[in-house]
Amino acid sequence: MKKMKLILIGMAFLSFISLNSISAQTGKEIAFKVYNRPTAKDGESDMKMTLINKKGGKRVRNIHQFYKDYGSVEKKILFFKSPADVKNTSFMNWSYDDANKDDDQWLYLPALKKVKRISSSSKDNEFMGSDFTYADMEKRHPDEDVHKLLKSENMGGENCWVVEATPKDQDDMYAKKIAWISKSKLLPMKMDYYDEDGELLKTLTINKIEKIGKYWVIADETMHNVQKNHKTVILISNMKVDQGLNDSKFTQRAMKKGL
Amino acid sequence: MKAIKIFMALLFVSQMTFAQDDESKLEINGYGRTYLGVLANEPQNYSIFQNTVNMEFKKQNDKIGFYANPYVYQYPKGDLQFGLREMYIDLFSDKLDVRIGKQQIIWGQADGVFITDIVSPKDLTEFLLRDFSEIRIGVTAANLNYYFNDENSLQLVWIPAFQSTIFPEEGSIWKPKMQFPLPVIEQDFTKESIPLKLENSEFFAKYSLNAASIDLSLMGGYTWDDDPAMHINKIIDPATMHPKGIKLTPEHHRLSLAGMSFSTSVMDFVLRGEGAYYFDKHFNTQDPSATDALIEKDYINYVIGLDKTIGDWRLSGQFIQQVIMDYDDLIMQDQYQNLATFLLSKSLFREKVRLEWFTYYGFNNEDALSRIRVFYMPYDALSFELGTNIFIGDKGMFGQYNNNDMIYTRVKYNF
Repeated sequence: MKKMKLILIGMAFLSFISLNSISAQTGKEIAFKVYNRPTAKDGESDMKMTLINKKGGKRVRNIHQFYKDYGSVEKKILFFKSPADVKNTSFMNWSYDDANKDDDQWLYLPALKKVKRISSSSKDNEFMGSDFTYADMEKRHPDEDVHKLLKSENMGGENCWVVEATPKDQDDMYAKKIAWISKSKLLPMKMDYYDEDGELLKTLTINKIEKIGKYWVIADETMHNVQKNHKTVILISNMKVDQGLNDSKFTQRAMKKGL
Repeated sequence: MKAIKIFMALLFVSQMTFAQDDESKLEINGYGRTYLGVLANEPQNYSIFQNTVNMEFKKQNDKIGFYANPYVYQYPKGDLQFGLREMYIDLFSDKLDVRIGKQQIIWGQADGVFITDIVSPKDLTEFLLRDFSEIRIGVTAANLNYYFNDENSLQLVWIPAFQSTIFPEEGSIWKPKMQFPLPVIEQDFTKESIPLKLENSEFFAKYSLNAASIDLSLMGGYTWDDDPAMHINKIIDPATMHPKGIKLTPEHHRLSLAGMSFSTSVMDFVLRGEGAYYFDKHFNTQDPSATDALIEKDYINYVIGLDKTIGDWRLSGQFIQQVIMDYDDLIMQDQYQNLATFLLSKSLFREKVRLEWFTYYGFNNEDALSRIRVFYMPYDALSFELGTNIFIGDKGMFGQYNNNDMIYTRVKYNF
């Protein structure tokens, strides 16, 4: 009996330490955990982007994408497969860890038959007319926001931290974001984006998460602009990771050659 | 019909070549387009009335590629104009890409002007109003690209048969107005074509550096001037022994050039430019001692441009200058020819609508061409375009077409 008591006391103590450590997690620590979670060094996948207007009308864009993380720079190349008027167009983006350095971007238009360096799109612009901005689709450094852990709750079948992120830059297009972060997968299950007036602007819902190789990745997500009642669904398929993609994949030669 | 038969035969051969153990599929794409333009001035004739089918056939694997781009233009009187814009075979290897066949080879960084973009000649049947993919003429060439590494490459081009600029036919509203001191009473076109001989080949070379910080190219060419020099000879009236007119003999001459181009990001801008030094271009002169009223001079042609994206707006400006070296006041062209272009473009309603305003402005003659276009894309791959071409001035490259202001519409479906 005495032994049993000791075990129970021990378990209670361990639980206390454990609970204490969870409650001691700050929003900033969670944001860094998400930022630093293991990700593939390179990968490729098909991306199907469906734009749905408030009447239910759909427009579909199909893209094949490659990316490679070089540490200080991440290179990405997109090949457009449909619709027909943009087929064989390719877009290459090199984004840098240095927040002061703008992305380098190139566009290959098959009708013009030349690769053109283009001025970096404003990150607040819509990506291909979708509900995602360029910034929404990029990794954001935690130091750009002030993070606050609001609570823990279940979302999408996952036990989540709910973290509020308020940008330090007053000119940021969002007043704040609230993210439901899966504690086990370190991926957002849902995100609410608030506009400059503090009104809910968009909601990102993660519909499906898959484990590819060693990594959890988002395979199906919906961004809903609640103010315009417009949605964008992104489906990722045929994903391959850590293939050791050749550096020559991320060149103007590759852009011209196509898939 | 002959062109179609040849093309179908080539397509069949290509299919056979790939057929062995190749999983790559033949991709068939293209567009259909209806194009109707009306002149703004009385009697408001149609400036263009054209239906187009443009097909693209592509088959490619890691080692071999095949591409063909046949097209047909149909005009109201029922006449059909077939053509093969490109048809080439690619051979790919680790370091070397070889493209052989009829192809458009595009160089340079400029938009809407041609400085170092001198490999593919131009079809100016409708001045500069066609899409640039239709203005550039494919040349039959052997085109080698050797990649030293991912950043450095060397391109060598051999064009065995010269192709000149295609000018509008006699009677076309786009026929350039040429001014001579005496009336043209005779024209001799016998010297205009270049014989098909090995020694009449054209050669081009380009070294390129494509790095994160800059895209830089150095190029050179031993070519023919795409535009013929006008050899002018006076015709003497035997009765008065005074000149009664001139005989015009267009003739192409060799032209060599060395140039460079670059583009780089500066702050939020893209700064780009290109320039070339041309050797021994033939210019018309009023010097009575000159043979055929021509004089050879070197000249420089360059452009500098800035691009910027602000929100949904895309802005671009270019300044272009041509300078004749060792200038002689009797040359019938200004020593400095200055030109500027401006582009303003914006997408609206999730890229369903695009507005575009592009203007050329010539400083020497204070003339301009202003193109305002609205694109409406209600469904993917379908676009309606409404546009105007407004010519300003009374002389110069654009002012000469002052009576050709037009409004047009194009409906295009890509598949």
